[in-house]
Parts: sequence; structure tokens; C-alpha cells
Amino acid sequence: MKRSSAKRQMGLCMLWLCSSGLLLEQAPLAAQPPAGVRSPLLPGPLPTPRPGKAAAPVDFTGYWVSPVMEDWRWRMVTPLKGDFASVPITAEAYRVGQAWDPAKDEASGLQCKSYGAPAIMRVPGRLHITWLDDNTLKIETDAGKQTRFFHFDGQAPADEPPTWQGYSAANWERPVRGEGDPRNDFPPIFSNRTGTRGKSLEVATTHLRAGYLRKNGVPYSENTTLEEFYDYHKAPNNDEWFTVTTVVHDPKYLNVPFITSTDFKKQTGATGWNPTPCTAR
Amino acid sequence: MNAKTTISVLTLAASLSVPLLAQIDFTGEWAPAYHEDGPERLPGPELGDYMGIPINDNARQQADSYDADRISVVTEYQCRPHSSDYGMRGLGDLRVTREMNPATQELVAFHTYMPAWGSERTIWMDGHPHPGLYAPHTWQGFSTGVWDGNMLVVTTTHLKANYLRRNGVASSDKRTVTEYWTRHRNYLTVVEYVDDPVMLTEPLVRSQNWTLDPGQETHPALCEYVPEVPHESGAVPNHLPGTNPFLHEVANWYGIPYEATRGGAKTIYPEYKPTMSKPDNPPPAHCERFCVCSVLLDCNLHGGALGGALPPNPQK
Repeated sequence: MKRSSAKRQMGLCMLWLCSSGLLLEQAPLAAQPPAGVRSPLLPGPLPTPRPGKAAAPVDFTGYWVSPVMEDWRWRMVTPLKGDFASVPITAEAYRVGQAWDPAKDEASGLQCKSYGAPAIMRVPGRLHITWLDDNTLKIETDAGKQTRFFHFDGQAPADEPPTWQGYSAANWERPVRGEGDPRNDFPPIFSNRTGTRGKSLEVATTHLRAGYLRKNGVPYSENTTLEEFYDYHKAPNNDEWFTVTTVVHDPKYLNVPFITSTDFKKQTGATGWNPTPCTAR
Repeated sequence: MNAKTTISVLTLAASLSVPLLAQIDFTGEWAPAYHEDGPERLPGPELGDYMGIPINDNARQQADSYDADRISVVTEYQCRPHSSDYGMRGLGDLRVTREMNPATQELVAFHTYMPAWGSERTIWMDGHPHPGLYAPHTWQGFSTGVWDGNMLVVTTTHLKANYLRRNGVASSDKRTVTEYWTRHRNYLTVVEYVDDPVMLTEPLVRSQNWTLDPGQETHPALCEYVPEVPHESGAVPNHLPGTNPFLHEVANWYGIPYEATRGGAKTIYPEYKPTMSKPDNPPPAHCERFCVCSVLLDCNLHGGALGGALPPNPQK
């Protein structure tokens, strides 16, 4: 009787541990099986990851405009030489920025230095977003006529050259437990995790050519990397918006990561789309 | 184990399991990134700077009447806190805690604390209805939140009239503020959508960022009323229409056309850029004010400091 009671209590305890997620959730991420591989605690394989376009939880395609309600003085006009306000620059960046010479950039054909991926989303203008193929989201800007490609299917080739827009690897934010995990939809025995169902687009950009964070020559180096998070929301008046949180990492010219967030409103068509070349001034 | 026991076990297990309705955990200490509009949010905006705000003519006229002596002279203004919407844009070390129902483990509310004037806000997550039309308005307003996937959508009403920029650009007590909170890794982004039919011709949309800073220690809010300058009893410093002598300063200091500094919806769209006239006066050759300013200690009026690491402004 005693043993039976002890066994039952242990069973109860194990059931509680599993049901409250203590056993399943405390495993460090590194110990979790990779995507597509079922945890040994659960039967059957996870679904094969779908292409970026098919898996898209949000439709970012279309024309978008950026109303400039932040940093107006540094975006809508070319800031004065030596104006580094808000950017957490190093002393070296300060020195380099003081030497900004737009005429020299023009003579060298470097008018697009302030249109690279770390800066382009803050440049006033419009975006045209389309799917190039099932795994490549394409973002065109009218300001500076730049094109970014968000690759959902891999890493940059080893011989990828540095460019203004670099190489961008993208994925849809995944729930902590992974897409298709039945625990996501199995309350109340397991915890309800609907809020972690990913809706965001995450982008990591490398292979960047050195450029400017702002038009007045605030520099970023060739070692810069970029994290971006795209979040869609609908306003109370039903306007559609997305906000991109941009985190620029540059150990050479930034004391801490440079974090901005830029808001875009969806348009019904191409109204206002006005491709213009890069300018250095 | 008989059927009765099995049912008991499953019932117990179900009751012990945690229906985590707090889907994204925003709790913690958050340090603001002043990487946008640093000079406006840290030392404070220049007088006459309405850039980027879709204000209407009435709001512009009211802002033009603003005299910065007002906060020194009018006692009631000295310790006036930021409203919750400006607080998120202005000075914002932020602490977020959550309140759970101990019986159901459902999320009841998020609570936020900002050390500026000890501002505390509650974001109700339990289906609280907003109060009626004539309920009191407060600095923090009445906030409710709902989940949209991984995003927290917060609606705030019943706010007192305050400001959209702390240089006299006012907000009315008729505004509704909608916020969109997202967390990615250790970054918090809050988009604010301010709909003010009294002051704006279209919603003001701004977004701000924090990084998780577990070591952050906030301080108690201290504010004393002090007579800072001699004044007549009941005086409210102001400028009558057409008499404010400071309105052109910001345009001249930064080489911007005066018309653009006046704000308004037409100035916030990219197509305004090529139509902009030339500055009224030749722009300075070099930045002269708040040229380095991403944390308060570096925001010196003339030249950058960067903790002493930077050379002086070459123009000085």
C-alpha cells in the first residue's frame, strides 16, 4: 500500500512536471533538436520548413511610404557637417566624420554611401516590396534606386563581395517551441503559447561596404552587421503600417549598437513613387 | 488506477498546468536608446521646432505663444509630469512588471514605472472596460491591452492635456493613444499612434526603443516647487500672436527653411523634400549646437564630450 501510494505520488509529480512544462521547457536552447527534428519526448517528425513565401504570416508586399515624424532634421535635409546627434559614435568616428567631403565622394562615384542597408530605411522615400521567387523578398527604394534581397534559404556564399546592401538572410520569427509543435495548440494540459506564434520578419545583413549612417558622413565600417525586425500592425483607422527596428553593430565607429525604428504606411498603389539617383549632398 | 483516480489526476494536472496568457514577457528593467531625436528628448527641443509633427493651425498658434519661462514661473507647471504618451518618447528609463491572478495564473495587468516624476501606469489585460466619457482624466490615462500574436496592442484614453513636444506643441485631452509593443531578443520597440482631433490633422506616429538592462536601478522621483525667477502673482509668461522673437532661431542655427520648421502634414512626406525652399539665411558651415548627443552627459550645447574622448568642436 505504501509503495503503491508512493508510486502514485511520483506519477502525479511527473505528470505535473510535464503538464506545467517544467521538464519540457527548461532544456537550454542548445540542447533542443534542430528544426525539422522531433524532440525525443514527442512522437513523429516535425513538418519540413516551408519556403519563405508560403510560410509568410504577414503580407509585406506592396508600396509603402515613410512619413517622417522622427529625426526630421537629420533625414529631410542634409545635416550640417559635424552633426552627430543621437548616434553613439566613437572618437574615431568623430574624427572621420569631421573630414566628410561630398565633392570628393562625387568625384569618386560614391554618391550612394548614405544609401547602404544600415541607413536606407531612414532615407525619406517609398518602398516597393515584392516576392522575387519563393524564397527571396525584394525591397526596392525610390530614393537612391536601391534594391535589397532578403534570402530565406541560406547563408551568404563564401565569395560574396561587399556591397551597399550586403547579403541579407531572413526568416519568419519562430515560436520558441518551433513551428508545428503540437504543444502550441494543446491547452490546458500544456501551457498555452499562442502569443509566441511568430508574426515578425527577422533579417541579418552582412557583407556590407563601408558607408554613412547619415548623409553628412557619419561613418560605418566594412565590419558592420545589421539586425532588423519587421512588425506589421493595423491602425485604429485601418491603415496598414509596419515598423522596422534596425540595430547596427559596428565595433569600429559605434560605442554601442545604434538602434532606430522606422514606420511605414501602406499605399493602395504606386502614387508618389519617384525613383531618383543617389546624391552626396 | 481506477477511472475516478484518473479523472482526479487529470483534473489536478489541468489545474496545476499554467495557461500562460501573458504571451510575451515584457517585464524587466529597460534602458532607453536615445538614437532618434536625441537633442529633443535629452536636453530638450529648440523653441519653434515643430518639425515632423502634423499639427493644425490652431496648435501652431498655441505653440507660438509658448514662453519657456512658464515652467519657472508657474508653480503648477514645475512638477507637472509627462503624460504617458510623451513619457514614452521623452525621458524613459522603464520598469515593467506584471500582475497575475494567483488563482487562475492569468495576466491581470502590466505595470510600468518611469522615474521621471515617478510615473506609474497600469495596462489592464483582463478585459476592463474604459471608463465613461466624463470620468476623470489623468497624466497616465486609462490603458487596456490585447494581444495580436506576439504584439501587445495598448489603447489609452482619459489623458490630461499635455504636450507632443515639450516646447509648447500641445496635446489635448481628447486624444486617444494606441501603442504596439514588440520584443525581439533584448530589444523592446513601442510604436505610438497619437490620434488628437484637436491638435493634429493626421495621427502622429513615432516609435522608440529600449534594451533590457537587468542592472538598472531607478531612483525615487523628487521634485520641489521653487520660485526660480521674480514674477507677479498669477503671471503666465507668453507671447502674443506675432510677437515671439525666438521662432526663427532653430531655422537659422541648423540651416533649415523657416517654413519647414513650422510642421504640418505636408512637411512629413518625402515629396515635400524637393519642394523645400532654400534656408532664409546661409546655413552655418559646421554644426554648433548639440552636435554629439546620444546620452545626457554628452549633450553639451557647444561641441561633443563623449566622456572627454572627443576633441573640441573645430569651429569653437
